[in-house]
Amino acid sequence: MEHSFIDKYSDRDSLLHRLDPRVKIICLVGFIILMVLTPPQYFHVFGQYFLVVVALLAISRIPFWFFIKRSLIVIPFVIAIAFFIPFFKEGRTAFILDLWLFKLSVSYEGILIFWNVLAKAWLSIMALILLSATTKFSRLLKGLEKLKFPKVLIMNLSFMYRYLFLITDEAQRMGRARNMRYFGGQFFRQLKVLGNMIGSLFIRSYERAERVYAAMCARGFDGTARTINPLKIQVRDLCFTVIFSAILMFIFVGWYI
Amino acid sequence: MHIPDGFLDAKTWISLSAISAGVVAISVARANKKLGEKHIPLMGIMSAFIFAAQMLNFPVAGGTSGHFMGGVLATILLGPFAGVLIMTTVLIVQCFIFGDGGITSLGANVFNMAVIGSVLGYLIYFTFYKIIKGKTGRFIGAFIAAWSSIVLAAGFCALELAISGTSPLKVTLTTMLGVHCIIGIGEAVITVAVISFVLATRSDLLELEKI
Repeated sequence: MEHSFIDKYSDRDSLLHRLDPRVKIICLVGFIILMVLTPPQYFHVFGQYFLVVVALLAISRIPFWFFIKRSLIVIPFVIAIAFFIPFFKEGRTAFILDLWLFKLSVSYEGILIFWNVLAKAWLSIMALILLSATTKFSRLLKGLEKLKFPKVLIMNLSFMYRYLFLITDEAQRMGRARNMRYFGGQFFRQLKVLGNMIGSLFIRSYERAERVYAAMCARGFDGTARTINPLKIQVRDLCFTVIFSAILMFIFVGWYI
Repeated sequence: MHIPDGFLDAKTWISLSAISAGVVAISVARANKKLGEKHIPLMGIMSAFIFAAQMLNFPVAGGTSGHFMGGVLATILLGPFAGVLIMTTVLIVQCFIFGDGGITSLGANVFNMAVIGSVLGYLIYFTFYKIIKGKTGRFIGAFIAAWSSIVLAAGFCALELAISGTSPLKVTLTTMLGVHCIIGIGEAVITVAVISFVLATRSDLLELEKI
């Protein structure tokens, strides 16, 4: 697996890349919470949110098609859960679909809910991509740590990030080896094979953890991880926060009044 | 089963986030108390292991495929509180990096997949383990715990969507439960197979200190 599949493009340079991760995390969470709280009938407000995302995308210099492709992964899920809502939700009938055998009525309320879910899920995933594609994972964790995220979870996340690629590679190698030797079979036999694969993946991972711990002890590990380059809030971080929250407030107040 | 942003209304996601934050805080406190230095790399690598194991698909009826969740497995191997932390870690990475699930619905996803799977799974597993001695009790406990962790997670997911007014309860609940009863069997068989494999090759790993 390529190492860069997680935070691809995070080593580029732009205003968004240079911002302090704390600022980015707070702005992102604020944006998503305000957006989720917006009632779905204010269509123009979602347009404004979309413009904010597009503006940030332009600043961030993330390739456009990469961004769009990544953001579309949420759509199948939305369709799977929400597609039938317009047909089942009761309310004023918008139009009736005349299918061959039966008629389906589609209600305004149902369409509104579908729109609500689709717009919010898509906008929020675009905002998340803006964060993850402009921030190195280690810096993201550093920011979360400074925001008083529990230390155990931070350690857990950083070790997971460090070994994710190795173990995923191992799992994919095992999967490839199985596919080459294995010609289908019964449901339960397949599950048993998968169980044995996951079992040996577990033992290998456990033994790796033991080796890692021994290596860390040999280098003087005493339970805390110390890193250099502490984060500092700079003028541009403050400017960005002020401007971003002003824009959000402007949009929010715009529909609220 | 990861719920994205926008599917839950304010009252649902705020209260579920509060519950999940509470459970995670308790787990963090427990882990801080009982965690040796040795557990620090172990937990992280186990999170990576669960993440990698989730990438292996198995076929479910009708050409669709399900994948292993692993909440109950992590719980059986390392204890319920470690299970909560491991699954929460996996869910955070999936949310932030891969866009599976959203920020506001993270609490709900942690509740469905980490809290229910680990806490209830552990209770079910250990009840059976204590009643029926030996291997049989282990296997039956693991099977039922793994199956119910999937079915309960799906049920709660449908319930949360219905409470939020996103989808009608009856339709969602029946389809979600129907599909996940089958996926749950896959999860259960795999969990039992993993445990019997570990028991046969390195049975000492099932006796690790539980957190």
